[in-house]
Amino acid sequence: MLLVSSTATRRAAGARTHSRRRLRRAIARMVPCLAMRGLVRDTILLVIATLVLGTAANLVPGRQLAWWGKGFEPPRAGVDFNFLDPGSADAMRTSLPGVVVLDTRSATEFGVGHVKGAQPISYTELQAELTPERVLQLRSAGAVIIYGASDETDVEQLVAQELHRRGLPPPYVLIGGFLGWQGSGLPVDGGAR
Amino acid sequence: MRWLRNPWLHRLLGLVLGGIFLYAAHAKILDPRPLVTIIWNYRILPPGPVNLMAIYMPWMELVVGIALVTGFKRRAAALCSTGLLIAFMVALGINAVRGINVACGCFSTSAEDVSNAWLLILRDLPMLLAALVMLVFPPARRAGVPAQPPTPS
Repeated sequence: MLLVSSTATRRAAGARTHSRRRLRRAIARMVPCLAMRGLVRDTILLVIATLVLGTAANLVPGRQLAWWGKGFEPPRAGVDFNFLDPGSADAMRTSLPGVVVLDTRSATEFGVGHVKGAQPISYTELQAELTPERVLQLRSAGAVIIYGASDETDVEQLVAQELHRRGLPPPYVLIGGFLGWQGSGLPVDGGAR
Repeated sequence: MRWLRNPWLHRLLGLVLGGIFLYAAHAKILDPRPLVTIIWNYRILPPGPVNLMAIYMPWMELVVGIALVTGFKRRAAALCSTGLLIAFMVALGINAVRGINVACGCFSTSAEDVSNAWLLILRDLPMLLAALVMLVFPPARRAGVPAQPPTPS
């Protein structure tokens, strides 16, 4: 009697489990999100791995970035540099003594044509190029004007920020870059006229 | 469309796309500082979260790259890479519409590496397609039997 009762109980439990599974499958078919549970779980795993690795790497001394936008500020107009239109830049270049003009474009572009009296400076090699002697020379300049190819590049702003960090007064960034200078018909050295 | 579920196709796509992600990650992991400037130059994010993006994005690319190349959690990696590529394309698209060619920060952290934004979007499209194939058409478990989505047990 007891044996029959326990077998019946087991059968009832099995039927309940079976019907529960069928119900879950039916729900999973109706709700695709549930069927993608494995994919979501795996994605969360990858995101956690990213968070752990990124956090650990950023705690390594020497490569720490501020977590929330401090410590490495993007260049700001009026703080790290000032904008200057080509006409004013040319007037400053010719009237003030010791104005240094820096060209941030590639060596090829510089060779083709550059602002009269400009010196090339490479952003990618900036740390090597800014020797203490050159920084001293730039500090003693009446003003520093920096330009790139056009308004579309921001390299000149980054160079200006770096120079400002090294103790120079905020340099001037040429509005319109070399294209703007050329467009204004101002003096150019090299092949481009 | 059964050929899209071919496991060998998925291995090949995983190797290629994963390799691209690993290559893209290496320079940014070595020095994330220039990446801050590049992300800032997109002029989409406010200054606060720019650093967070520069800290975690290269590692996301690394994790996704490893997962795609090794095949470990490949479908989840395909989902992450789809998200990353869509985010990159939206960011580039916004600047393309604005008419600004930014240094994309795709494979180098040089702010001088300025390219045409529309061309960069075009370059990302095949990668997005590969990621979508791996995501939407999971490989067949056995020959001729398409894989079923996992059901909760």
